[in-house]
Amino acid sequence: MTTLNINGKPHQVDLPADTPLLWALRDHLGLTGTKFGCGMALCGACTVHLDGEPTRACVTPISAAIDKKIVTIEAIDQDATGKKVQEAWLALGVPQCGYCQPGQVMAATALLKQKPQPTDADIDAAMSGNICRCGTYPRIRAAIKQVAGLKKETKS
Amino acid sequence: MHANDTDLHAQGASTFIDDMPEPAGLLHACPVVSGIAHGLIESIDLNDALACPGVVAILLARDIPGCNNIGNVEAGEVLLAEQEVVYQGQPVAVVVAESDAVARRAAGLVRICYKELPAVFDARAAHAQGLHIAPPRIFSLGDVDQAWKDCDVIVEGSAVSGAQEHVYLETQVAVAYPLENEGLKVFSATQSPGMVQRVIARVLDCAMNRVEVDVLRLGGAFGGKEEQATGWAAMAALAAGRLQKPVKIRMNQGEDMRWTGKRHPYDSDFKIGLDKTGRILAYEVCFYQNAGAVADLSLAILERTLFHAGNSYFIPNVRATAISCRTHLPPNTAFRGFGGPQAMFALEAAIFKAAAAMHVDPAHIQRRNLLQEGQPFPYGMPAENCRAQRCWQQLHDRFDLPRRQQAIDNFNAGHSLEKKALALMPICFGISFTATFLNQASALVHVYADGSVSVSCGAVEMGQGVKEKIRHVAARTLGIDKARIKVESTNTARIANMSPTAASVGSDLNGQATLLACQRILQGLKTVAARLAGGEPEQISIEQEQVCLDGRPTATGWNKLVSEAYLSRTPLSAHAHYATPKVFFDRSTERGRPFAYHVYGCAAVEVAVDCLRGTYRVTDVSIVHDGGRSLAPDIDRGQVEGGVVQGLGWMTLEEVRHDGQGRLLTDSLTAYKIPDLYFAPDIAVEFLDGDNPAAVMHSKAVGEPPLMYGIGGYFALVKAIRAFNPDWQPGFSAPMTPEKVLLALYECGC
Repeated sequence: MTTLNINGKPHQVDLPADTPLLWALRDHLGLTGTKFGCGMALCGACTVHLDGEPTRACVTPISAAIDKKIVTIEAIDQDATGKKVQEAWLALGVPQCGYCQPGQVMAATALLKQKPQPTDADIDAAMSGNICRCGTYPRIRAAIKQVAGLKKETKS
Repeated sequence: MHANDTDLHAQGASTFIDDMPEPAGLLHACPVVSGIAHGLIESIDLNDALACPGVVAILLARDIPGCNNIGNVEAGEVLLAEQEVVYQGQPVAVVVAESDAVARRAAGLVRICYKELPAVFDARAAHAQGLHIAPPRIFSLGDVDQAWKDCDVIVEGSAVSGAQEHVYLETQVAVAYPLENEGLKVFSATQSPGMVQRVIARVLDCAMNRVEVDVLRLGGAFGGKEEQATGWAAMAALAAGRLQKPVKIRMNQGEDMRWTGKRHPYDSDFKIGLDKTGRILAYEVCFYQNAGAVADLSLAILERTLFHAGNSYFIPNVRATAISCRTHLPPNTAFRGFGGPQAMFALEAAIFKAAAAMHVDPAHIQRRNLLQEGQPFPYGMPAENCRAQRCWQQLHDRFDLPRRQQAIDNFNAGHSLEKKALALMPICFGISFTATFLNQASALVHVYADGSVSVSCGAVEMGQGVKEKIRHVAARTLGIDKARIKVESTNTARIANMSPTAASVGSDLNGQATLLACQRILQGLKTVAARLAGGEPEQISIEQEQVCLDGRPTATGWNKLVSEAYLSRTPLSAHAHYATPKVFFDRSTERGRPFAYHVYGCAAVEVAVDCLRGTYRVTDVSIVHDGGRSLAPDIDRGQVEGGVVQGLGWMTLEEVRHDGQGRLLTDSLTAYKIPDLYFAPDIAVEFLDGDNPAAVMHSKAVGEPPLMYGIGGYFALVKAIRAFNPDWQPGFSAPMTPEKVLLALYECGC
């Protein structure tokens, strides 16, 4: 039995130590807000926070998450920055199909918590691993800047 | 209050099929697919797979009770191969097991022996061998053969545009539940619930009313779930029907990439003739479409290629030939633009080559030949409400293009190892299904006794915002707050015979049907309201949830009105059907009016190329887009932005490659590069508004047209390369990957 601290509460799962965290979240704990995209840490749809670090749950074994604070999209509104990110997402109408968006919100929140005033290069570095096939990238960038209180600037 | 999808997505609270709770006893299906591109099946050995603990059944073609066919065109569109396999990844069997992992493992243990047959993967090679899906089609206007003699400049060449993988992040998935009395309920990630229902009934040899298909939303589709969601849903249904257990099937991303079709690669030959002022007098083009192994939607896509052979230009003499070539790749399929982008790329290549020969900027020829009101398309229909010139002019005025071009020229003069360029891309895209019968839709609207409203229609939500647009139409028609309106899942038991959500017309068709159904309910409500307000129904309107008499608010609000209507036994539900008027096409003459209207636009795409490394940035895209009176301006802007990003990806980064045996090499995001946030340029969009009597509330379709602005990215790169290496003669082969750019920068003129 493994105990995982998810969204501020302990959860017990009876799974092999190498089970991907994503399986534990989605299939065993019913936390389906975190999406299964590529399964190879290439798309970012499964992004969660481990001790505040954006992490690809699809390639993270539950053994690597023990004793860490796991935060998923379901609880990100309890974080002041996460709440602001979600509000900016709504204000700018970022999502289209929505499948990648929980991962985008998690990645953007982690960025803004670490760098409240990110540069364009910071945004590129933090967000380029989160794929959006609908192409909502211009709005993702704008929403991050809105949270940071930065005006939209033309990229140089 | 009804939250819209945006709220749910940002909270991770929106449900996709894979998020649905799995029922007890759920079985998992995994296809066994052909490992070769072409051959005859000599034997199938199921023993090892059946011996796997947890395997429940393995189904073959012989287990299909009905017809082994999942297509609309030809007998070869089978669910499971019988004697012959025609592409790598073609399903031959379906393993059903107690877990996904067991099903997948057992699928790998099925041994199929083949007698290999020759395979062909290239459209021109298939054409040379006489391998076609159907006879060629030819659209012509004027007399091309006579026109050449009047031309001052004639150039010929070829253009190649590659495949494009859809990469919807929600992969193909379906869950089928057996119901009483031989019924089935199927949750399928499809753009075509009606087709999935019809094909399952065909495969299982049952009536369509036994099969209910439900779609809540899709995690991306882009055309890849129009035809190609059907087979997987049919496999789940076949297994669920036979085993009387719920069955789920879900591809992983690599399987999805290997087993499903893509945007069609095209190989085209062109010849273009102009007078010395740059007026195009004649254009001849032959499109070789790589259809893949079976028809799928290839012929409809080929037809749309022909409809867009002239793009946004008037060319008096045109002969466009289109040939659908049968190869041994997975059947290629719909992808945003549906054959239009390939046609436009070929014509832009011809214009670019002619401009080089004439030593003018391609923009000179583009501008000189833009369509004007009343001029005919190569299929006889005249341009109506033509916006080609206005979009072009407004783009130049609002985005200060002359100054930007000057700045680029100055930059290039001062920089030897970095070059910039700007290219223009006008578009004109026809709106309607070209299969005329598909231009119909139904809506079912209920007003409940508490004043809340439910709308069902045939539109599938896949990120294009159609549900939000339908809510807008219903709210505006009924005169009430949008928060009262819920758009239901797309369900074949509520809406019969629905067309696919495709061809950009989801909101046009279903919005109009919703409007008609709401009007029908409103008619009864007005009679009730007139009685309450002491007037005639003609004097009544509902505005901001209040009954108005001659435009003045009365004491009666929406809730009271609905309650009174219910108590007085007035109908509060209505069904309505809409069929796009005035569209027709005669394939014997290749003439008609296939489109309700056209969408126009023009983009300026700016790039910067690092001439040491071949790397590049698309730095800026400025667009004037013909948007009509938008139902939801923010959604439309998002569709334009997303379409541009996807179109730029097709033209620049995204390269689909196979090995010599037809095996996909680019089957993951490590090998197949699609746009990311770093790649996405600044995109400025200005809408040209105006009336459009041909669509609901004067709106205009927006899903597909903006993708074609991306073509400008290719030609901007070509211009930047030539600024560094003027001797380079472009071969017009897209995508223009950084590797190709680097080679072009240092290729000698030859």
